[in-house]
Amino acid sequence: MAALWKILVKYKMLLIGGAKVTIIVSVMTIILGMIFGILMAFMKMSKVRLLRYFATAYVEFIRGTPVLVQISIVFYGLPMLGIDVPSIIIGGTDISRLVSGIVALTINSTAYICEIVRGGILAVDRGQTEGAMALGMGNTRILLCIVLPQAMKSILPSLSNEFITIIKTSSQVSVIGIGELMYAAETIRGISFQPMAPLILVALIYFLITSVFSFGLSKIEKRMARTTRHA
Amino acid sequence: MQDSNDVIISVKNLSKNYSTLAVLKDISIDIKKGEVIAVIGPSGSGKSTMLRCLNALETISGGEIYFNGNPISKQKKYTKLREEVGMVFQHFNLFSHMTVLENIMYAPVKVKKRYKGTVRQEAMDLLEVVGLSEKADVYPDMLSGGQKQRVAIARALAMQPEVLLFDEPTSALDPEMVGEVLSVMKSLAKTGMTMVVVTHEMGFAREVADRVVFMDEGYIMEEGRPEEIFGNTKNERVKAFLSKML
Repeated sequence: MAALWKILVKYKMLLIGGAKVTIIVSVMTIILGMIFGILMAFMKMSKVRLLRYFATAYVEFIRGTPVLVQISIVFYGLPMLGIDVPSIIIGGTDISRLVSGIVALTINSTAYICEIVRGGILAVDRGQTEGAMALGMGNTRILLCIVLPQAMKSILPSLSNEFITIIKTSSQVSVIGIGELMYAAETIRGISFQPMAPLILVALIYFLITSVFSFGLSKIEKRMARTTRHA
Repeated sequence: MQDSNDVIISVKNLSKNYSTLAVLKDISIDIKKGEVIAVIGPSGSGKSTMLRCLNALETISGGEIYFNGNPISKQKKYTKLREEVGMVFQHFNLFSHMTVLENIMYAPVKVKKRYKGTVRQEAMDLLEVVGLSEKADVYPDMLSGGQKQRVAIARALAMQPEVLLFDEPTSALDPEMVGEVLSVMKSLAKTGMTMVVVTHEMGFAREVADRVVFMDEGYIMEEGRPEEIFGNTKNERVKAFLSKML
């Protein structure tokens, strides 16, 4: 206990910095993953065969390969393909590694979110679409304003689960030198020669972050349930 | 009585197939302004399919449907047609994520681009008509089946359609709720609304309809005034059906 406390006090700036990066990477991945995941779900249900095939192949490939491999492929592979992630300097630090990490995690979460969203859309009663059609609504409006909001309500528990997974998975971007929590733990271990204490500390911080997220998401779930009887 | 110039929907030799299964075979019927038509017949006779062709929820395989003289199959988009031809479904199909008032106001405001204040007033008036003013801010899931269907009728009316189609509007209701929906439909018929009602409620067909259409095996087997159909039809099929229903 005393050892933990000493490490916490001594390296609190490193831990806070790591937590910040973890939160930034996770939140960015969740936002971008949702956008691309929903788009990918639309593609997978598209009438255009090419879009459908692409989305299916994408999802199968991403789900069938380890995230650690994906992160490394994005980090080393993009420059080799001639795609340079430009050095973006914000507040005196180069965030190009951060960008690579967020891109890789987004590529990964897009596949999972796509499948969750698709399942949710398919679960919405066909009558909702027909009711909207009978009122003269166009397909895009029906999808975005009638079907998607109802799908969201039923998939929120699975989405919450995926968001928590994203936060935990973000620890893996430490391999490409992004200074998030796991990286901070490694750094502290290197300096202090104490392997256990920093690991336990970051475990607790991860747990704190995921708990806050879970709490917030369950609040949203409750709020959405107000349209249902016996909420 | 109306003269033939008042025909709103004219169905000519309509047929509909699901791959090799012929559901509708050579249906022809004219629907005049202000007319209430009850469509009856055994399950699987094509009643609902015929109704759903009228607002293009089903694509037609042959023949033509004219709305105010214009063939509907020539239209690229059916959204304009559907603004004019409203529909009430067996399972209500109220939007579960919107309140009653939002359900009614959504399409007039977003699709017809009408002014929100006016639409709100009309929506409240419609809720008054169907006797649900106090439920304006409630979500559909909190309503009984009969209340849901009355909201669905108000929602369809808010679009100010020329014709209203009813697809078995009381079939999913508990028996004690059928009456409240039928009475709303009755008073609607009295206002001169053009209505096509697919129904198993023979009492309603007999009492409210101007014309009864009997369908079986994808054909219109018989049509006429209610007293003709229910009173002294010579058609054996109609007799057999009615003896089971009444």
